[in-house]
Amino acid sequence: MSRRIRGDPWKWLLFVLGGGFLAYICVCPESIPLPSTGVSAASDYPAKSPLGLIDPDIPQDNPMSAAKIELGKQLYFDKRLSVDNTVSCATCHDPKMGFAEHEKVSIGVQGKKGNRNAPTSLNAALYDLQFWDGRAPSLEEQAKGPIVNPVEMAMPSLDSHLVEKLKKVPEYQKTFGEVFKEGITADNVARAIAAYERTLLAGDSPFDRYFYGKEENAISPAAKRGLEVFREKGRCMTCHEILPSFALFTDNKFHNAGVGMDKPNPDLGRYLVTKEEKDTGAFKTSSLRNIAITAPYMHDGSEPTLESVVDLYDKGGIPNRYLDGGIRPLNLAEQEKKDLVEFMKTLTSPEVEKIGGPHPPQ
Amino acid sequence: MKRKFTRREFLKVSAQGAAAAGLASLLDGFGLPSTRSAEASPAVQPFTFAYISDAHLYEEKLNKRFVRSIEKAVADVNALNPQPDFVLFGGDLAQLGQKGELDLGKKILEGVRAKRYMMVGEHDWYLDMGEHWRELFGPDTYSFDHKGVHCVVLNSVIVEDYWTAPKLTPMERMKAMAQLDNPNGRPFTVGEAQRDWLKKDLSKVPLDTPLIVFSHSPLYKYYKNWNFWTDDAEQFQAILARFPRVSVIHAHTHQLLTNRIGNIEFHGVLSTAWPWPYGPKGLPRFTKQQDRADPFDQFDGCGWGTVEVLANGGVNKNYNLWGRKPMKVTDEWLSTVNEASLPDPYEVGPHY
Amino acid sequence: MKIRYASVLLLILVAVGLVAFSLAAFGSPSGNVKSLGLIPCTEDVSSLAPGGRVFKVCDGETKVVIQVPDSENTGRMSKETAQEVADLLMQEWTKMKQMKAQDAPMVLAHKGEPHARRETRTWDMELDNAVKEGYRAFHDSSLGTNGISCDMCHPDAMDNHPQTYPKFQTQLKKVALLRDMINWCIENPLEGKKLADDDPKMKALETYILWANKGEALLPGKH
Repeated sequence: MSRRIRGDPWKWLLFVLGGGFLAYICVCPESIPLPSTGVSAASDYPAKSPLGLIDPDIPQDNPMSAAKIELGKQLYFDKRLSVDNTVSCATCHDPKMGFAEHEKVSIGVQGKKGNRNAPTSLNAALYDLQFWDGRAPSLEEQAKGPIVNPVEMAMPSLDSHLVEKLKKVPEYQKTFGEVFKEGITADNVARAIAAYERTLLAGDSPFDRYFYGKEENAISPAAKRGLEVFREKGRCMTCHEILPSFALFTDNKFHNAGVGMDKPNPDLGRYLVTKEEKDTGAFKTSSLRNIAITAPYMHDGSEPTLESVVDLYDKGGIPNRYLDGGIRPLNLAEQEKKDLVEFMKTLTSPEVEKIGGPHPPQ
Repeated sequence: MKRKFTRREFLKVSAQGAAAAGLASLLDGFGLPSTRSAEASPAVQPFTFAYISDAHLYEEKLNKRFVRSIEKAVADVNALNPQPDFVLFGGDLAQLGQKGELDLGKKILEGVRAKRYMMVGEHDWYLDMGEHWRELFGPDTYSFDHKGVHCVVLNSVIVEDYWTAPKLTPMERMKAMAQLDNPNGRPFTVGEAQRDWLKKDLSKVPLDTPLIVFSHSPLYKYYKNWNFWTDDAEQFQAILARFPRVSVIHAHTHQLLTNRIGNIEFHGVLSTAWPWPYGPKGLPRFTKQQDRADPFDQFDGCGWGTVEVLANGGVNKNYNLWGRKPMKVTDEWLSTVNEASLPDPYEVGPHY
Repeated sequence: MKIRYASVLLLILVAVGLVAFSLAAFGSPSGNVKSLGLIPCTEDVSSLAPGGRVFKVCDGETKVVIQVPDSENTGRMSKETAQEVADLLMQEWTKMKQMKAQDAPMVLAHKGEPHARRETRTWDMELDNAVKEGYRAFHDSSLGTNGISCDMCHPDAMDNHPQTYPKFQTQLKKVALLRDMINWCIENPLEGKKLADDDPKMKALETYILWANKGEALLPGKH
């Protein structure tokens, strides 16, 4: 045989390459290029982000891999992460409802109500900070919150209860072992979920095709007029950013529009995190991507429709001592308000419910 | 044995007495500085007062944002707990000195819960030479005592008459005074009449009494082109030189501004309406500059503030900049810092 | 020649004397006295369309023209105004004489021909007028609807930083030119209607802002 290989240079080459490849995939499992699993290009990894977005930051200690993403997705839909097996992440962040829900505030185990509206997981990877008040600096940190929140999934603890519960699932023992050196830990649960969430990128909307793709007919004339209002008279764009190369529709800052400040015991928002008086009643600027499918709106779900949100801003927000100085009455004409709403409807990505790949039934 | 007091001795003693008295009054005039006392003046009870300033109101139908700003300041001051001993309004309540503007300002300030003291600015004065302002608020120059501190309120926006000769209309005069960068403007002064009044007023004040002087113009010389300037500053400062603790709280400059000259510490107050850039020269080294404002936010760079009067008669100055962390200048720092150790603001880069 | 110069000098002294020793009756606020420039002696002053009161001194070739716009044509001016007129006459006269006398480096025109003094004077005058136009617009609250004018936040065009454009302008969310920011300010703090890029008022505002920041090094992109 050796004489034959030696004699035949092509077979020798193949032998070397094949051996090399085998060695490679055995030694470095995480660097295998992934097969395509879904409609959105975001499930390919390393992915090119959809039109209108940028790539999310990947933390050093949580590189992406197909296996990790799959594990994260399983956990995301797994009701066993709640104390009584009734609530998963996807309960309040439902792909069929834009990875959010149509409730004003989220309802957790045993019908317990929270005080804030569930933000969409779509494009959440692109925020600097997570939660309405920015208290979590990463998706990983955010993922841990609801699991132990008594009015959400209500697990008594992460390290003992959650981890012990997951260890009893043989499949998780196996998958965690394959993906993570340390196996099942609270941090690794969070890492897996975060990795999955980093694939939930929803761009390539009609707006993106018009604005970045230069497709003149991608949006209606009304929406085009609405875009002008958004950028000029409406003063929306300064906080809900559209940049020349991509649009996150958020400035990643915190502003007080007065929402909830006229009720007793208002939610003080960012103030609860920073304890700076200037942050009283301030909440993170939401991205407006896919906004048309994620009603109701604002941190407390108090605005039922896009029209009502536009009216809120048109009148200058809700007066209170800490109202942001950039907010003021806009004096929009009726047509301008309608056009603004038409514009916001163009921010919905196609086939949102397919983003992140086929989803297990709830 | 009792010696009779000879005439010679009597003359000697009287002469000495007269000489002493004469010397004292001479010193009074020259205002030689005395050493600063760092100890608590026994008569001072520490207290806090608040300020709102430079509202520059137009009538509401023309401009709502300035109304919104002063109302915001009133709401903020009213929310203080405990309430300040009094609230001082620093001048420029109106933008063009018009009756409607001053009346609007008075109405809004009546919402302040605490006791109010008013001070005049050039924007209030030069339409009708202060006639309506005085009708609404009383004298433009006065003094009062509070918890061991002697407070003086001045009209320090007196300028030389340059309108009578060319027969400017009142509104022309007002607009000339209202334009900060008016190249034909005249510098602010306290003026001889008020300086004389001040000397008389202070002659009754014991030397160890801390003084607070409220003024619209800064009472020193910062940047003449914008009338961040008081032309007779040196004469004014001389009158105060013999008092160990003097704090000047002034308006007009719409920015965080701090200075110290001899025994006097100078603190500017914020405007509710808009912030001004720092002058291209003359900015005192003691000033910790506020950052440039974001014009998207109508409140940025603006605000109100409080002054804590301390047991030693000095003040801590608090700047409540809206939408920003508050900034503070303490007496402890300002009265002891070595000026030469502070960087030249024009090398550091002024914040404009 | 000497007699000519002597008579001219006498003329100057007389003019200065008349002006300086007038007492106040009508007058104008300081700063209202201005030079209308230099024109040939043969030209009539009315071509400069001045209002008010006009003073001129001629050296046989060129005359210096000074205007007091708000003044009546007769009667006494205030002492201050009279002094200003005298000062300005002297100043402009001296400048003119220096210009004529010295070998000033000439900016070469095309085709190797030096620029005529008429041309360089014209440039200065035209620029001066354009800057003044811009100064007026900069101080004009009718650009907006709420009584605010540019100079209220930007005295002497301070804090405009025209030398840092083009740059990414935070409020506009894109790389902007000076005129884009001017328009943004008109719409937002001044609550007015934006100007077309080629609107004469926009050009005037840019002219004044750039002129007021003369000498600043270009630093596009600097925040």
